Amino acid sequence: MSAVLKGLGGVALAAAVLYGMQQTTPGYGEITSPRPVAGKLGHRLETRAFVIDIAKVQLARTLTTKGASRDGTFTTSGVWVLAEGTAEALSESLTLLSAEWLGPNGIRYAMSQRLSSLPGMLPGQRLEPGLPTPVLMAFEIPDGQVAGGTLLIARSAWAPLAEQARIEMTGVKPADIQSSLVLARAQGRVPWTLSAQ
Amino acid sequence: MPAEQRLTWRRRLFAFVVASVGAAAAAAISFAMTVYDAAHPKPVPVVAPGQPIDTGRWSITFRDARTGSIPPTGFKPSSPKKLVMVEFDLDNRSASTSNVFHRLFTIDPPVANLPSPAFYLARDRSVAGGLQPDMPERMIAVWEWPPAVPVPQQLRLKVTSQIHKRRDNLYGAPGWFDREPVAVVTLAVGSSP
Repeated sequence: MSAVLKGLGGVALAAAVLYGMQQTTPGYGEITSPRPVAGKLGHRLETRAFVIDIAKVQLARTLTTKGASRDGTFTTSGVWVLAEGTAEALSESLTLLSAEWLGPNGIRYAMSQRLSSLPGMLPGQRLEPGLPTPVLMAFEIPDGQVAGGTLLIARSAWAPLAEQARIEMTGVKPADIQSSLVLARAQGRVPWTLSAQ
Repeated sequence: MPAEQRLTWRRRLFAFVVASVGAAAAAAISFAMTVYDAAHPKPVPVVAPGQPIDTGRWSITFRDARTGSIPPTGFKPSSPKKLVMVEFDLDNRSASTSNVFHRLFTIDPPVANLPSPAFYLARDRSVAGGLQPDMPERMIAVWEWPPAVPVPQQLRLKVTSQIHKRRDNLYGAPGWFDREPVAVVTLAVGSSP
């Protein structure tokens, strides 16, 4: 009788251990997630491969483009977020293909593809070591995601264990939403100008 | 052979037979259930146009269908084309931007030699890119209809669904996986220039 009990106890113990192991095993997504490098809006952030410095963030309900491949007024059901800054490669030429706005509720908004052909957009800028290059990013997000956001910038959207710059968007608030902004092509070092109408 | 060893052999054989019978029964029941499910498919619910359909990853509401020769961009194509357009509202219910709405619905029954549709964003009157989560947009799917096939009076669309798995069976990676169709929508095809 006690042998049977012992056997059952062994089975129960094995089941409990296996369940515990199953529940605590990190998922593939966690094992291969990018390595975060934290920074703040307005401060230079250095990772191993690149440097990024987001200087200014502007918010608008509508965006008008001038001198770009598609002229027109771009509306949105939420808010346009335009982040301007400079980026620089450190040891080899590269392109930063992925930028996402991480909202306070954990939802990630990729750069808007509606404006991807405009001059100075981050994925279109080839970064060289020693040459800080002006970069522009445009996002479309709902109103509730403006405050408490974080900008995630990486070489590509899915790169296991690569570094990801996480820039805290302190001071970006819904009160600063402008009714409209004009994005025009410009000559000079910065290939665009962004101004209120 | 000593009696003790014979007993062990008999026990082993008994355990082997029990395990085999159990495994065979499990396989037979699973196979029978699959065959039964395949023989008795659940009817796909019919949804009226204008009703939101929850597909798991997306929420889609069909508005109308029409045929015409000018795509949503407003530019007349260089060679005349027969286009079939379906207007719908689409909301991304997942946690990240996505552009994989191309296989969200299909024409049922399939039309021979029909190329896959192009998707346009009504707001921009241009080809749609990724859709942001929680920001519904009006979209237009455009099929270039084969000249040999007459445009139907009614379009029957089958909407597929996807579920999110925190860990898939192969890598343990999170992802979206196809499931069976959730709805069938029938739209009357109107006409536009």
